[in-house]
Amino acid sequence: MRNSLLPLALALATTGVAAQEKTITIAGQGAKSGVVRSFGLNSEAALFAAADQINKSGGVTLADGSKAKLKVEYYDDRCNAEEGISVIRRIAGTDALIAVGPGCSNVAEPMFGILQKKAGDASDTGLQMPVFTDVAIKVGLAKISEWAFRNVPNEATMYGSVFGWLKTKYPDAKTIYGGVEEDFAHSRASWYAVMKEKASAEKYEVLGESKWLLADTNFSNQVREMKKANADVIAISAHPFTTCGVLKEMQRQGVKPKVLVGLTSSSSLETLQGCGAQAEGIIIPTSFAPVSKEGIAAAEATAKFNGSADLHSMAAWENMFILKQVIESQKISGDKAKVQEDRAKIREGLANLKTTNGLMGTVKRTDEREADKPYLFVHAKDNKWAVLHNPSGN
Amino acid sequence: MDFYFGLIQLIGVHTLLGLSAYIVLLTGQVSLAQAAFFAIGAYASAMLTVLAGWHIVPAIAVGAVVGAALACAVGFPALRVKGLMLVIATLAFGEAVRLFFFNFDYQVAKGAVKVGPLGGEGFRQIRYFPENGWTTGDVALFIWVLVLAAMAFLWWVDRSRYGAVLRATGEDEVAAQAVGVNLTAIKVSAMTVGGAIAGIGGALYAHYTTHIEHSSFNILVATFAIAYPIVGGLASVFGVLLAVIFVQGFLVEALRALGDWRNLLFPALIVLAMNLRPRGILDAQALQRLKSLVGRS
Amino acid sequence: MLDLLQSLCDGVMFGATYALIGIGFTLVFGVMHKINMAYAAASVGAAYLGLIVFALGKGVPALAVFGAAFVAGGVLGFLVYVLAFHFIPLAYPLATLMSTVGMLLLIDEVIVHVTAGMPQNYPSLYDKMFDAGGFTVRGDLLMIAAVSVVCMLALLALLFRTRLGLATRAVSQQPIAAQLCGIQVARVNATTFIITGLLGGIAGALIGASVGTLSPLLTTPLTVKGLIVTVIGGLGSIPGAIVAGFLVGGLENVVQYWRGVTERDMYVMLLLFLFLVFRPGGLFGGAKGRD
Repeated sequence: MRNSLLPLALALATTGVAAQEKTITIAGQGAKSGVVRSFGLNSEAALFAAADQINKSGGVTLADGSKAKLKVEYYDDRCNAEEGISVIRRIAGTDALIAVGPGCSNVAEPMFGILQKKAGDASDTGLQMPVFTDVAIKVGLAKISEWAFRNVPNEATMYGSVFGWLKTKYPDAKTIYGGVEEDFAHSRASWYAVMKEKASAEKYEVLGESKWLLADTNFSNQVREMKKANADVIAISAHPFTTCGVLKEMQRQGVKPKVLVGLTSSSSLETLQGCGAQAEGIIIPTSFAPVSKEGIAAAEATAKFNGSADLHSMAAWENMFILKQVIESQKISGDKAKVQEDRAKIREGLANLKTTNGLMGTVKRTDEREADKPYLFVHAKDNKWAVLHNPSGN
Repeated sequence: MDFYFGLIQLIGVHTLLGLSAYIVLLTGQVSLAQAAFFAIGAYASAMLTVLAGWHIVPAIAVGAVVGAALACAVGFPALRVKGLMLVIATLAFGEAVRLFFFNFDYQVAKGAVKVGPLGGEGFRQIRYFPENGWTTGDVALFIWVLVLAAMAFLWWVDRSRYGAVLRATGEDEVAAQAVGVNLTAIKVSAMTVGGAIAGIGGALYAHYTTHIEHSSFNILVATFAIAYPIVGGLASVFGVLLAVIFVQGFLVEALRALGDWRNLLFPALIVLAMNLRPRGILDAQALQRLKSLVGRS
Repeated sequence: MLDLLQSLCDGVMFGATYALIGIGFTLVFGVMHKINMAYAAASVGAAYLGLIVFALGKGVPALAVFGAAFVAGGVLGFLVYVLAFHFIPLAYPLATLMSTVGMLLLIDEVIVHVTAGMPQNYPSLYDKMFDAGGFTVRGDLLMIAAVSVVCMLALLALLFRTRLGLATRAVSQQPIAAQLCGIQVARVNATTFIITGLLGGIAGALIGASVGTLSPLLTTPLTVKGLIVTVIGGLGSIPGAIVAGFLVGGLENVVQYWRGVTERDMYVMLLLFLFLVFRPGGLFGGAKGRD
């Protein structure tokens, strides 16, 4: 009897100790509804996978030297502005120190709008909750509030590089024609403010653009315009559904440009699943491909949590590791009674970062709380995304 | 606490949206154009506070007026169309208004930055509340003062002769005409009141989300507008409130605990609700029973 | 000028897809005087279900997908009837409006959950393009137009030459008198839904084939177009739905050619609104606005 009591007592004692284990909660926010559901699923998987890896190697170190495990709570905002605001307020009411998200740019903008504009401005009653975005990519959102930070690729830099490289690889291609999804802020901005400008800067003659809406299904007019323009390069700034529609119509009407360029968001499984055959050869710059050891490991870890690794979900993965670094360097207390102080410390920590670690190399942080991420070019080959060119020469 | 105030704000604005469709539904017209009046109230009031520096209260009043004006303009041609065709006609009008805002650019330079609606990009930085020190609780209170005013007005209408005439028109137009009801006046006035209420709701929506764009006023919003009175029941204004709390409070927020299942349960419960209570949660029978319960105590 | 005519031609041809969806909407309305808002969603859902045949193994012919979609359409149609119509008394049109909206959202969510919202490649049945004196015409859209005409003839034959059709017309005109004659109203209504569902399955699959990719983005625009076509053609008129389909398709493309894509729908919607105000009965209905 006495022999069995001792191990039992020991077991109880150790579980008692384990129950005292500290946790730091990090919230995730994204859309798990509608056509963007895969974005939410993948980000969620990446966050859980990253937290799992961090926890397996001991967790994060708090100000008093003790260790804490990271806990992730993921919220679905259904890509709806009002719900997104409701979710961030709900998150602010929990002990989560920061929210990673959101997925949709049309949620990010109102959500950042309700945050306090300048940290420490007592006359501004905006919400004081740090947000670290992984997916929402519309240009220039982080400058809306000093509590908003983003780890999304800088399309201006990437496309500048794409067109520069294309000039050397295809010297006889001189003209460019665009296709743009007009009613989606991201794709629209990416053509007019990014692709068109960078192509002109590289001395391409911009012959014009064809426009459509994100739910359109008939592209006969637009592709006929493309055919008439007969440009060497066609750049399609649209998401997978309409990109596939346009590519199929191009096949029907026999439009075959020398070079086909696509939108960053379309370098995902969706395009291959929707129109793998027609997408063959399309060139897209991306801030993630599983080329490095860490990248491959991250992709495998995320796959274990049923997510796929792409430029969006891997930003979420990177965010977790950046947050570990900030939590430790800012000496976060982890005290549930000092949540707001910890949040302010994390905000300051993120604001002071000049560089962060990315899966493709070092990421520079800008003064406007955006990221300048290393990138490479992929192209669709045999129904897979293959690396076409790595501008940093790795 | 912030979260609960935010939820209260949301329920308030959606109640206004529902009430705007409620009064039009009383006259037997199913209008999918309420989102359009919501939109014009939003853009008008936001432009006044952001571009012209107005105080929020007159801006909301202007939102109500333009919503009412637009609704009045729609009310007259809508007289010629009945039933399902009115649904489509109002849907078409609503979409036309949304697409107008999709193409609407009006930017003014304020210092180094340009502000104002920018077509597809929307209208950002409508920050009257945070810039003027309103807390979430202050905004919730403000919204609910307006909601209660609207509910009180409609409740009073229900007890007045005007309300009886509205419902008579909704039940049987021919009979109503036979007893001398001026159908034009009744239907157009109901539409106008609905437009005003939607305009107020839209103005509040713009200011508490700080960012509006054309897709904030799409067919789904128009459908929710009529869903609230239909699911809630047309017997009383409280039906609308009940439906908003059911949909936004229960289906959207409370069911969040169920994770992924929430998205599937949401429409399934709406289908179930319409099967179990086809006249709405708070239909005439239920209202009678509630009244007798209260009368007894 | 040639461009404008080609635009018109392309638009009219694409309108065949609207016509096909419109037939189903208008038939349900004609029989039950209720609108089934979930019709387009069920048709797209049936198209998705058609893709299941590919899970059975490689080398499955494309035709099998269409066959599967056909059957799935009938099943989904019956499901919509049971869940959104059967238990709701006929006197409450608002209730069925909401219950079918609920079904539309439910079908959408199921599609999103099963496919994670990702677009699915759809096999095409007929790829040829026809050149006719400077104009190109899409062969698959011609086929869709032919199919809609065939469906129209089949439905008209069903309605006017069979006992089921007789019972259906009786129920739509006088439900109580029909019951007195021994016609089981519930069974007739269920059969109407199954038949329109079968038609919807074909419509969904053909539309999927013409677009080339299936996505949950398809359901809302198809619902709106289907309703527009139903109403312009005249509620309950099957030939009206077909003519209206071609008309709306052509108009859309011409307006797009003339004013660009951002203003296209605005003009189409305004024109629709004015059309309804001045001719509330639709093309083939009375001018009085009876509904």
